[in-house]
Amino acid sequence: MTRFFDSDIFYAFRTSPVAIVSALVTAILVLSAVFAPLIAPTNPFDPASLNLMNGFTRPMEPNAFTGETFLLGTDDQGRDVFSTILYGLRISLFVGVSAVLFAMVLGIFLGLLSGYVGGWTETIIMRAADVQLTFPSILVAMLIFGVAKGVTPVEYRDQMAIWVLILAIGLSDWVQFARVVRGATLVEKSKDYVAAARLIGRSPLRIMLRHILPNVLSPVLVIATISLALAIIAEATLSFLGVGAPATQPSLGTLIRIGQGFLFSGEWWILFFPACTLLALALAVNLLGDWLRDALNPRLR
Amino acid sequence: MHRLSTALALVLALPATAEEFNFAVTTDPQTMDPHAVNSTPVLGFLNNVYEGLVRRGKDMSIEPSLAVSWEPIGEGEGWRFKLREGVTFQDGAAFNADDVVFSYERAASEQADTSSWFAPVSEVIKVDDYTVDIMTTAPNPIFPDSIANWMMMDSGWAEANGAARPDKDQGNYATLNANGTGPFQVVSRQPDLETVLEPHAGWWGEVEHNLTRVTMTPIQNPATALAALLSGDVDFINPVPIQDVARLEGNPEVRVIQGIEARVIMLGFDQQEGSAESGQGGADMFLDPRAREAVAKAINVPAILQTIMRGNAEVASQMVSPAMRGFSEANAAPYVYDAEAARSLAEEAGLAGQTIAFKCPNDRYLNDEAVCQAVTSMLAQAGMDVSLDAMPVSNYWPELRADNFDMYLLGWSPGTFDAEHPIRFLAATQDDEAKLGSWNFGGYSNARVDELLPMIQSEIDDTARQAMLDETAKILQDEVAYVPLYVQPLVWGARSGVELTQRPDDFFILRWVTVN
Repeated sequence: MTRFFDSDIFYAFRTSPVAIVSALVTAILVLSAVFAPLIAPTNPFDPASLNLMNGFTRPMEPNAFTGETFLLGTDDQGRDVFSTILYGLRISLFVGVSAVLFAMVLGIFLGLLSGYVGGWTETIIMRAADVQLTFPSILVAMLIFGVAKGVTPVEYRDQMAIWVLILAIGLSDWVQFARVVRGATLVEKSKDYVAAARLIGRSPLRIMLRHILPNVLSPVLVIATISLALAIIAEATLSFLGVGAPATQPSLGTLIRIGQGFLFSGEWWILFFPACTLLALALAVNLLGDWLRDALNPRLR
Repeated sequence: MHRLSTALALVLALPATAEEFNFAVTTDPQTMDPHAVNSTPVLGFLNNVYEGLVRRGKDMSIEPSLAVSWEPIGEGEGWRFKLREGVTFQDGAAFNADDVVFSYERAASEQADTSSWFAPVSEVIKVDDYTVDIMTTAPNPIFPDSIANWMMMDSGWAEANGAARPDKDQGNYATLNANGTGPFQVVSRQPDLETVLEPHAGWWGEVEHNLTRVTMTPIQNPATALAALLSGDVDFINPVPIQDVARLEGNPEVRVIQGIEARVIMLGFDQQEGSAESGQGGADMFLDPRAREAVAKAINVPAILQTIMRGNAEVASQMVSPAMRGFSEANAAPYVYDAEAARSLAEEAGLAGQTIAFKCPNDRYLNDEAVCQAVTSMLAQAGMDVSLDAMPVSNYWPELRADNFDMYLLGWSPGTFDAEHPIRFLAATQDDEAKLGSWNFGGYSNARVDELLPMIQSEIDDTARQAMLDETAKILQDEVAYVPLYVQPLVWGARSGVELTQRPDDFFILRWVTVN
């Protein structure tokens, strides 16, 4: 622990107000997502608990029919916007983190493989990556989502939607990781410690995972943080377009889509609060990623 | 100076833009083929391009169109139509009796979605070039009322382009191209993007509109469409999001045209025993009428109308609205909301522990997805587990035709403005040969209803006819064949200089539009 507090990284963090604030915002949002069932006054994902007559209640004003008051108002179905944001945040974060983890594992594996093995393996993997880079990632995600939805039996679609989202965003995101890891692996491969490991007869897989991997991880960490912000936005975009999280289990993007229909009619709070939350989350994670990149970059030190 | 520049601006602006008319719709017509899909977006749009023997006026009354007069033959063996002479199609070909016979064969063919309109017809005979006899199997007093949307296609054009029969699924030349006798012709068609119309110079009728070019753009999101109307990008939208009506009423640049549509929104159920329900687990949960009644009682329709529809719709009691001919006054009481009764009925019927697959369109009816969500949570409150799947209408009909549902949302607007229409399409037992029950996706079937339908169709005496319609309405209500929810409101929006006529069938007729 003391080693961590004495480290350069912690010093860089301590002296950067942007990093402290964005870490704080991220922490608050993550914690409130994790503990959503404890904080939220209602469970918006339980359709039986909704009262339609509560619909369109203004923030902090009692409803005309039921007399109930909601901190941030309610949407068209009578869902408490505050609770829905907390639960929606859970979906957004869960999808974002899982998708990045998935993309990271896949990307690191393929990157190590192509960097270390080279030859045809490298050519095939890297050309596949190039081809995928020419498509906008949201398009790739929509394609995967559409195909997966087509092959899933109807009764599992609701449960599957989240996993399909993770798969879709993850698969559209692995290229970044693979390219960076491959580059770093090419550099590390020619170093003496790898040659030494090879001389004493270590298997290629072991060399890749035990010797090279730890040395290529720091750029991966930076990409992962920035990718997280992008994945959260990608999830929101897909849900906004109506191909993501189901309407009965809204994520932040779904909430924004619902709220967008009521902008002209003056029910601004349905859109405004989820949008602010998404903005805060994406911005904080992004700034954290930026700071991490600078902090880990020896040339900037 | 200021006045001068305003006048100058007016002079410069008027000739260029005044008669170019842009409008937005939520649902793009699936096809330009008037016999391929029997739905309001398609028929409503094509009414500007194609014409039938008769047409409906501003007050929905039947008036001559391509036929100048008609009379019954003998003791109700059929109808004789005298055709209008000198009518040309948009490609210049002349219209005559051969085209009527061809259009009958085409529209009544197995591949056509309109074939059920011709269930009472036995034969169409060309008497001479401008006289046609349409023979019916039984006396049919309302036949001329039932064919206002049967549109005439040129036999030569269709055959030369390989479109002699419609093709619902694959599409053919007539899916993307049109050649009618109507006041407007399609000059360019890009599905889901833009469709451009121009006036048909050789139209036989008297021109009332002042349009030189009409562009229809599908805008799926109603809020986006409204933004386009407010900014002047489009001159007309249908529908205006219901939540925005109050706000628009204070805006001098636009006006809202409201009315009650002929359309009843209802819930349908899968009532087929063990049919090919791929992916539904094959559960026959709605075979039991108690299960359907549980749904009927679990839904608080007034609450839906109060919040989602903002008080702009009426609760429905049967498959037609009170404005339709043949509405059953005797059965005008809607199902009463009673969550407790619904809960115990659901338990008795064994709905507990089963997941109801609920299909819903999200771009077809006003606030359709929001209504479906509200229904989902109301059923959950009565102890029923519902899995809602909302989708665009282009995926929706195929999904229903494939029987991929336990419950679904449907809106029905009777094309004949008569209570017989939904019985024929929605309540009669599915029978492809007799062209009955073609939209009866759930497979509802009742022997007495099937027996009553032909009697209703051929009954000339109004009282006797109404008695049979009452009996049918009662059976459908008692057995909960469908759960009628509400009569959909019509909410159109236009720039304030636009004069138009709103008809309760939700058809936007361009020949009545003038732009000032």
